Amino acid sequence: MPRTSAATARSSAPGLAPDAGGRRLPRTLHPVAWWIWALALATAVSRTNNPLLLFLVLAVLGYVITVRRTEAPWARGFKYYLYLALTVVAIRVVFRAVFATGITPHDHFIFSLPHLPTPDWYAGIKIGGPVSLEALLSAATDGLRLACMLCCIGAANTLANPKRALRVLPGALYELGVAVTVSISVAPQLVQSVQRVHRARRLRAGRSQGLRALRGIIVPVLEDALERSLRLAAAMDSRGYGRAGTATRRSRRATGALMLLGMCGLCAGAYGLLDATAPALLGFPALVLGGLLCVAGLRLGGRRITRTTYRPDPWRAAEWAVAGCGVLSAVLLFSNAGFNAAELNPSIYPLSWPTLPLVPAAAILLAGTAGFLAPPPSAPVRPSVPAQRTEEST
Amino acid sequence: MTARQGARGLARTTTALGLTVAAFAATTAPAAAAPQPMGQCTTSSGAVLAVDFSHWGGPIYRSCGTTPTTGYELLNQGGWRTTGTGHDGPAFICRIGYSGHQGGKQYPTPQQDDCVLTPPASAYWSYWHADPGQNTWTYSQLGAMLYKPRPGSVDLWIFGGTNIEGTQGRPTVTPDQLRAKNTRPTGGGPVPRDTRTAAPLPPGVDTGPAPGNPPPADRATPPPPSPSRSVTASPTPSKIVSPTPTPTPTPSATPSATTGSPAVAAPSPKVVDAAPAADAAHDAGSWVPAVITGALGLLIGAAAVFAAKRRRRTE
Repeated sequence: MPRTSAATARSSAPGLAPDAGGRRLPRTLHPVAWWIWALALATAVSRTNNPLLLFLVLAVLGYVITVRRTEAPWARGFKYYLYLALTVVAIRVVFRAVFATGITPHDHFIFSLPHLPTPDWYAGIKIGGPVSLEALLSAATDGLRLACMLCCIGAANTLANPKRALRVLPGALYELGVAVTVSISVAPQLVQSVQRVHRARRLRAGRSQGLRALRGIIVPVLEDALERSLRLAAAMDSRGYGRAGTATRRSRRATGALMLLGMCGLCAGAYGLLDATAPALLGFPALVLGGLLCVAGLRLGGRRITRTTYRPDPWRAAEWAVAGCGVLSAVLLFSNAGFNAAELNPSIYPLSWPTLPLVPAAAILLAGTAGFLAPPPSAPVRPSVPAQRTEEST
Repeated sequence: MTARQGARGLARTTTALGLTVAAFAATTAPAAAAPQPMGQCTTSSGAVLAVDFSHWGGPIYRSCGTTPTTGYELLNQGGWRTTGTGHDGPAFICRIGYSGHQGGKQYPTPQQDDCVLTPPASAYWSYWHADPGQNTWTYSQLGAMLYKPRPGSVDLWIFGGTNIEGTQGRPTVTPDQLRAKNTRPTGGGPVPRDTRTAAPLPPGVDTGPAPGNPPPADRATPPPPSPSRSVTASPTPSKIVSPTPTPTPTPSATPSATTGSPAVAAPSPKVVDAAPAADAAHDAGSWVPAVITGALGLLIGAAAVFAAKRRRRTE
């Protein structure tokens, strides 16, 4: 704890101004810290339907991303998550308008869609008909909550280096991590490849248009991709990837059985937690048991694999502070301490202005302190540094 | 087990989501439905609405509405109000409140259920009907916005859980304890003369054991939900019959020891007639928090822009 407070004290002044005075060395935060922060904030968001709190979460996310993102390719993707979030809200609203849930005399009528009559045996679903302001607003806030959670995940993807995040996978899943890393780097490489081919065609004054031009691009790009993957495979093979290891048949079977049972336990536990009528034994105990079995399976599978890490990510006070402020905000929102739980879900039927409960708002702002608790990202502009970095971490 | 529960949940959702033409026809012409004092409901006209608040220590309220109506409208007039869920809209009845009970407080309270998602099958308002002349409850196959109560029928909302076999969570009161017994409407005020004409109404019901006003008593015995209750109920008819006039002098919102009392077997809650009342006052709240949030958001945005600019300058 003293380390955390020390970090806070140190960070307060230079946090807003990276590189100012050189008091905080710029470095990338441990990716897991960002993930914990973002997932905790998403958990906090799942608790509330209050549009004011949701907008506050979006503002906080925007702030932290602007202040602490790097210049890496994955760090420029947040606007796509915002588009996705907007799409989610729009789909919710359109669906609520089309498959209307009914209008009551107390509601504010806005417009009416043409009504599609359904037979009696299909009476539960109504298509078209009058649409009320309340229905649209409730759909929009419902969509906004999902949109906020999406943006939280987007923030984690933007702030954390995905390739470094995959390093913390347990040893048993190392091959999986390698596969994901390779597949993550495919898209930028494809884009590069397409651009290269396109430039080459322009230099050769290729004038073909339409489908023929497409063929002219696709074939070289595919060839390029194939060649590149063969090269990568050869490189990985020479470094010892994909070796079977020293596992005996029995230990491999034991690992498989443990993992399978653990997954079954996790599924049953999740079901038990979500369904209130399920027997109590199916809920939390099954979840814990499944988690323990999975951990045991991963430990057993990972025991025979030894990996060394080149330049391990440190976990220092700043990591504790960022992860801690996220978790603390989630805990505050779930604690019901100092505020009325009803304020988290303001009523839309009948329409009323949402209130801004003090403790949850403060909790969300607390999560926003990650913007200056985290160290400033390492200096981006020099072109050689990021290129080197991406290569070494692949 | 799981599949069945899933199916049950689905059925609940679909039934509770009553979104029909009917609902809209009714809402576009709302003049047809109106709250009425309990005396206006008879055996052949009007629909009786009963809501069981005994889960929170309250009584069973019953009130009356004119019939070309839907279950939803019946539940949203004369001081009654419901709240839907954020996920399903107003058609899924999540909370029910009556302005004459606890100042219109709606149950379950936000602390008990936040009404964001569909409530669990173990704690929700289940919807039961009894058509005229029927003394058994049927679980509603339609949602409140879709179902149209027949004249002389009883709609009952009880809170709790139900299982798929229909053996758990059945109402503990019988329809006859709640339904209107008078054949003619009895004015708005206290009109204590209606019961004497109650005898001839239910066709094909033997009025054997009851001397005065038989229908409630003897109908309660033949289709008993549990045999034990019928046994305990059997001594009571004599008791009921004599107090039959008593239900009538209490048509408006006074606790009446109506036919609710004889069911000794169950911890039967009181049945109280709920008079049409004005809607509970609704406070739309203030717009100040929204403005504060907007200002806060702008402040954070300005901080972000400032930081980004400064960062760009230092590089």
